[in-house]
Amino acid sequence: MALASIDRLTYAYAGAPPALREASLRVEEGEVVLLLGASGSGKSTLLRALAGLVPWFHGGRFEGRVEVDGHDTRRARPADLAGTVASVFQDPEDQVVLGRVEAEVAFGLENVGTPAGDIAGVVGRALAAVGAEHLAGRRVTELSGGELQRVCLASALALEPRLLLLDEPTSQLDREGAEAFLEHALGNGSAVVLSEQRPATVLRYADRVVFLERGRILLDAPRDDALEWLEEHRPAWTRQASNNLSLVGEETVCRVAGVSFAYGDGPRVLDGASLELRRGEIVALTGPNGCGKTTLAKLAAGLLEPHAGTVERIGRSTFLLQDPGRYLVRERADDEVALGGGLAEARRALAAVGLAGYEARHPRDLSSGERERLALATVLVGDPDLLVLDEPTRGIDPERKLELAALLRAQAGERATLVVTHDGPFAAAVADREISLAALPEAALA
Amino acid sequence: MRPSAAALVLLGVAVAALVAHRLPAVGVLAAMLLAVCLRAGRRSKPYLWGTLFSAGFVFLLSPLLQSTGYHVLWSGPDVPVLGRLDVTTEELRIAGLNALRLAAVGFAFAAYALLLDHDRLIAAATARRSVLAAALATRLVPTLERDAAGLVEALRGRGLEPEGLRGHAALLSPLLAGSLERGLNLAEAMEARGFGRPGRTRVPPPPWRLRDYGAVVLSITVIAVAALWL
Repeated sequence: MALASIDRLTYAYAGAPPALREASLRVEEGEVVLLLGASGSGKSTLLRALAGLVPWFHGGRFEGRVEVDGHDTRRARPADLAGTVASVFQDPEDQVVLGRVEAEVAFGLENVGTPAGDIAGVVGRALAAVGAEHLAGRRVTELSGGELQRVCLASALALEPRLLLLDEPTSQLDREGAEAFLEHALGNGSAVVLSEQRPATVLRYADRVVFLERGRILLDAPRDDALEWLEEHRPAWTRQASNNLSLVGEETVCRVAGVSFAYGDGPRVLDGASLELRRGEIVALTGPNGCGKTTLAKLAAGLLEPHAGTVERIGRSTFLLQDPGRYLVRERADDEVALGGGLAEARRALAAVGLAGYEARHPRDLSSGERERLALATVLVGDPDLLVLDEPTRGIDPERKLELAALLRAQAGERATLVVTHDGPFAAAVADREISLAALPEAALA
Repeated sequence: MRPSAAALVLLGVAVAALVAHRLPAVGVLAAMLLAVCLRAGRRSKPYLWGTLFSAGFVFLLSPLLQSTGYHVLWSGPDVPVLGRLDVTTEELRIAGLNALRLAAVGFAFAAYALLLDHDRLIAAATARRSVLAAALATRLVPTLERDAAGLVEALRGRGLEPEGLRGHAALLSPLLAGSLERGLNLAEAMEARGFGRPGRTRVPPPPWRLRDYGAVVLSITVIAVAALWL
């Protein structure tokens, strides 16, 4: 008998069209199943259905049957499935309940009734299993996104689940961090169902691949067969885009020279870093988590002032932050974008990012991928001379990434563009040149 | 000291400030709590500003709304409904007392929020659900502060600068909506992690030590002294 099975599941959130249509899936013990599909295709909903959160937590209309370890999820609550099933969601900040790392990892163990005397030992082993034993005793608010993601994984693994559900768990991690995370997550014998937007990192770990589109499962096949199918039918998911380099002008839009910066009384994040951006070029700024990429980008855009060194800039600059939730201050999508320009221009910007027809939608009703694109529109509007994008491909599927790369390339001549990214293929597809930032003490740039 | 014992001491001093009647005594209690708060460094800033603003508001407004005392310091115009606006020495004393009481309670809460280990408070609590709800609510202030800073930074990144009271007030609605959304996500994660399931266990809390008992005695003593002699 399969560990989990979904049988002809059709599900719609309250007041919305179906997020899943006639979906069927079986997950065997120890199997790694990779879910692929565009933003809004139903991947997260499928994971929620396996955790019992759909329909228990979200309500809505539920037809079909989902069984996990012999329990029908229409009868067993998510809390009853906890322990057999464990989840790691997209945003680690939204799933952390307690203030210190050990207490956070112990939270689930206490809930499922682990004997009190065993909890401390299990917590220590779970942290060690994800390479995070050094974080024990730390406050969760002091951790980086990558560290927090590891603590969330430790919290899930501590339960020794038979089914581990991971919803885009590596979206905030650099390539090395993502690979380390996946090795920890996938090497413990649990069956794993995970969704991803960066398939290149994950495909080699997967036994099977499921491809969703508009709530329907288009493909459910072993990895090698799935690769052939993707190559033929959805090439954006396996191929890297070519890059037609632009003609770079002579005009320097931004020059950062020998800047140093530290947050508050903390250690220096940058020391003597330099950067020059010319009109017409797209520059990718890469490097490991915590090396100061975002800080340098904020200095270039004028969001931070350097403690030493100089920043010279001409014209208007805009900056896209990593968190699209920061761009939801109005009631309509077009009003949101129009804050930085006129309404007509805002609608053009929405169309440019693939959100034509979304003008009247409330920004908070958009999916996470759609919010990313809305945020992008808010910084494209008004024709900035310097456009700085911090991790613009987070939560965006490969087809949208190609469109984003094409859009940036098409508009490259109008401005200088700096793209901070962990996404190597995207950097290669979009950038004229790449600057790799090393962690301190050697932060000087080419 | 156990966080629950430290919380009792903070509660005791705050209650003492509420029941005491002598202005200097309440002032000393508020100053003690302020000194404790300041140990949190920069993190205490929003709490201190909030408390001082509220206390200052009480001090400035309440003399105008009272009609107590005979030693008039300032006499103002007649205002419909409120009557004559005047300020007396007695009103100032009462306003100062109430402002200091409010400040003491605010500082005690700030010290609780900033300096105590809420995880250990939850672990030691009998009413775990209620204490967990209180601990999550306590985290609301720093989370809102961080969200507000993020919204302002995003606007600046779009070339916009929120100006004045109106500009910042416009951010309240998205701030609240974001907070509600985060609350829903957290509730979903808690449900998925088995919160509310029967048969829960907990990490055994450390045993009570002499200084923990001492803190309880101190707390009760401070309240009694304040009620009887201050």
